[in-house]
Amino acid sequence: MKKKVLSVLLASAMVLSLVACGSEEGSGDAASTGSEASNTTDSAATSTDTGSSDAATTEPAAAEEFVLDNLYIVVDGTLTATVDSGQAEFEAQWEEAVGEKLGHPIDLHINQIDHSGYTSTVSQLLATSTPGEEGYPDAMIMSASMFREYSTTGILWDMADAYANAEFQSRVTLPSVNENMKTADGKLYGFAPTYGNGCVTYIKQSWLDAVGMSVDDIKTFDDYYNMLKAFTEQDPDGNGSDGTYGVIAAGFGKLDEAPFINYMPEFWQGAYPSFYQKDGQWVDGFTEQATIDALARLAQAYADGVIDPDTEEAGTKQAREKFFSNDQSTSEGVFTYWAGTWLRTLTNNMSKNEVDDDLGDDRLVQLPPIKEIKDTWGGYINREAPVWVITDDGDGDNTREQAIFDALLETMLDGDRVQTLWTYGAEDVHWSIHAEEFTTNADDPEKKKDYSYEEGQFHLKQSPNDPNTVWKKNHLDAVLVIAPLTNGYVDNDDLVTKGNQFFTTNCVDAPAAAACETLTNVQSDLVDYKKALMNSVVAGEMTPEDAIADYNDEWGDTVEQILSELNQ
Amino acid sequence: MWNARGYYLMFLPVFIYVLIVYYWPMLGVRYAFYDYSIKNFEFIGLENFKSMFSTKDFWRAFSNTLQISVIKLLITTFTSVLVSVFLNEMGNMFAKKTLQTIIYLPHFMSWAVVAAIFTLFLSKSSSGFINETLKSWGVISKSIDFLHSKDWWRPIYYIINIWKETGWGTVIFLATLSGINPELYEAADIDGASRMQKIWNVTVPALANTVLIVLILNLAKVMNLFESVFVLYNTRVYKVADVISTYIYRESFMSAIPNYGYTTAVGLFKSVVGCILVLICNEASKRVRGRGII
Repeated sequence: MKKKVLSVLLASAMVLSLVACGSEEGSGDAASTGSEASNTTDSAATSTDTGSSDAATTEPAAAEEFVLDNLYIVVDGTLTATVDSGQAEFEAQWEEAVGEKLGHPIDLHINQIDHSGYTSTVSQLLATSTPGEEGYPDAMIMSASMFREYSTTGILWDMADAYANAEFQSRVTLPSVNENMKTADGKLYGFAPTYGNGCVTYIKQSWLDAVGMSVDDIKTFDDYYNMLKAFTEQDPDGNGSDGTYGVIAAGFGKLDEAPFINYMPEFWQGAYPSFYQKDGQWVDGFTEQATIDALARLAQAYADGVIDPDTEEAGTKQAREKFFSNDQSTSEGVFTYWAGTWLRTLTNNMSKNEVDDDLGDDRLVQLPPIKEIKDTWGGYINREAPVWVITDDGDGDNTREQAIFDALLETMLDGDRVQTLWTYGAEDVHWSIHAEEFTTNADDPEKKKDYSYEEGQFHLKQSPNDPNTVWKKNHLDAVLVIAPLTNGYVDNDDLVTKGNQFFTTNCVDAPAAAACETLTNVQSDLVDYKKALMNSVVAGEMTPEDAIADYNDEWGDTVEQILSELNQ
Repeated sequence: MWNARGYYLMFLPVFIYVLIVYYWPMLGVRYAFYDYSIKNFEFIGLENFKSMFSTKDFWRAFSNTLQISVIKLLITTFTSVLVSVFLNEMGNMFAKKTLQTIIYLPHFMSWAVVAAIFTLFLSKSSSGFINETLKSWGVISKSIDFLHSKDWWRPIYYIINIWKETGWGTVIFLATLSGINPELYEAADIDGASRMQKIWNVTVPALANTVLIVLILNLAKVMNLFESVFVLYNTRVYKVADVISTYIYRESFMSAIPNYGYTTAVGLFKSVVGCILVLICNEASKRVRGRGII
């Protein structure tokens, strides 16, 4: 009898516990999107209502008392204060600074997603949870392409009014960055705190010296191509055998991310293998003669062996690492990559791998845009800026979204404490104004460098995750930001300044990315198809003309539909 | 039954656990009948299936799945049998055990590592070991883009599978071979049979039943092809390499705004085909060995 009673009790306990585990509402049923009360944010009207509440019943008066005490943001790798690099301190100092500004405590939750899987993870987050659920993003970073796709979904909040009334407006030096992002009817679904930046072509000085060339001699595509051939055939690394290449990039064209052509601009020249506006009309640049010519140039270069074949599958990390690898015998002489801070990062990595140590900060030279680029685009492409977006909970009431704007974006450009956090990171973790001395590479007499700062002098500290390097920046680039810091905190790295100056004097704005419903629906398949065609052409499996004919056969009707939607 | 009510009561929590953990998630298949993307959840009946059956990429993936899976199964089973017979013939136990251990090892490597190794080995660039070696031997004059060529991808894929799985595949055949009555070999010796004749007339017939069972058991799994393809394929070889699972993955996770309803429909179709294959194999198993697999 005892055993029976015990088994009944045991069974009951397990059943109850299982039922309790499985009883939680909101298992990702998208039908309830936008209709649930927030449990990450409190409102006076809904603080006792954690179930399903119709948005229409929300009392406006109560909504005005909305208090944002939890802020969930989703970021990619551009927040360099990662978990391993002082993110906890950044978060704590942000909460303290913003809490003071808002007059109430606020808890910041950062969900930092791996850069390469960012798009898919964000879509899963948005599809499997609803506004108000823990972890549902209140705000997030989006690339220009991603932003354009989402702008047609109704999931993003129109922040035009909030932006227009923001306190930082009086200090904005580059208003066009965000004004250009407004839709035809004046809606603004994303906020760019910086301008986009772009890529410039870097060449190894030592390789130029080895083949007897100078960057000043590279004026046209023919000059550029001859340089690549020399890097491939004339043993620039001096090891006595072949194996080097002219150039490497993360793909022959980055067809999934605007501005598509920036990793190999010399080959693409005036082509733009996507939808863009030409003389006021949207056109499909992939079918234009300029794209056919660009593909032919790439195919020729691939056949001649001047493009590293790893380019086809390489991501940016792999391409970078091969470029500054300590094994230069299979490396490349040319790499087109981001301007400014990346000039410093590439140089530092070459130094770390003991590549061209004798040249110091002159290891890399920047190639001014060749004639063909100047004659078409006018310069290197300044991409559309990545943006911050705020999710709209769809309740027709803006108080939650405005509160997110005030806490996150308004403070991000306050010119002072919070902007410094986003620009340089946490005080006394990433930067400091206190007197201190430190040494990088203390164990290596050749690379050892001493740093000494006086009390009150702004300076960057050693990187939290690598004491042999000096911290560079956090999320915002001080040079690219649309409203500069007002506290005078400036990091004077000559190389970064030189890189930024070079880019700004040699760049033009990228065309606006296209967005319409059909394009959003077919985008990934379309990009895959174009990428397969591009790679096949470059590998010599088909001619550019055949590739475009194939594309027209397969996608012609869809492209027509997209163009008609865009040109409406 | 009433007398065993205590046992049923004790079984109840497990039953509920199975229902919740294994069967409740299956309710997700209903999304196959919905347009389910961000901020959109609408019942659309069979539209996703109509769309799926009218999509060329889907049929290409379905056809590739069957072709790659079946050919891979036949090749790896054949090589496993071959290696098992050779191992069985080896007299030196130390050499036999050493060889067995060596050929088992690749099975324990993850597909990600295997892909990284072979991608490096087969690379077309100057760091590609195979191409550089073949060129230095004068076998080829121009590097071959093994993993990006539609002609080379499948043969390379099968070779990698043979390298990785043959050793492990020998386990069951070696177990069968160890159970062959030695008197059969002795009788063959008395009849003056050569080694090859003994293999052909004694060993191979003894293995035939096991080979058939292995084939039947694995046939039920032909739709489950993902990781090995995913880590080795690329856009240029989609025509010969894209399989149902990689197609679902791309549509679900590589799109900025995926339609989970559509991908659930494709997944459901794959499950139904897999289920039918299991039932066919079950029936085949009943006929071959007198009992089913489920």
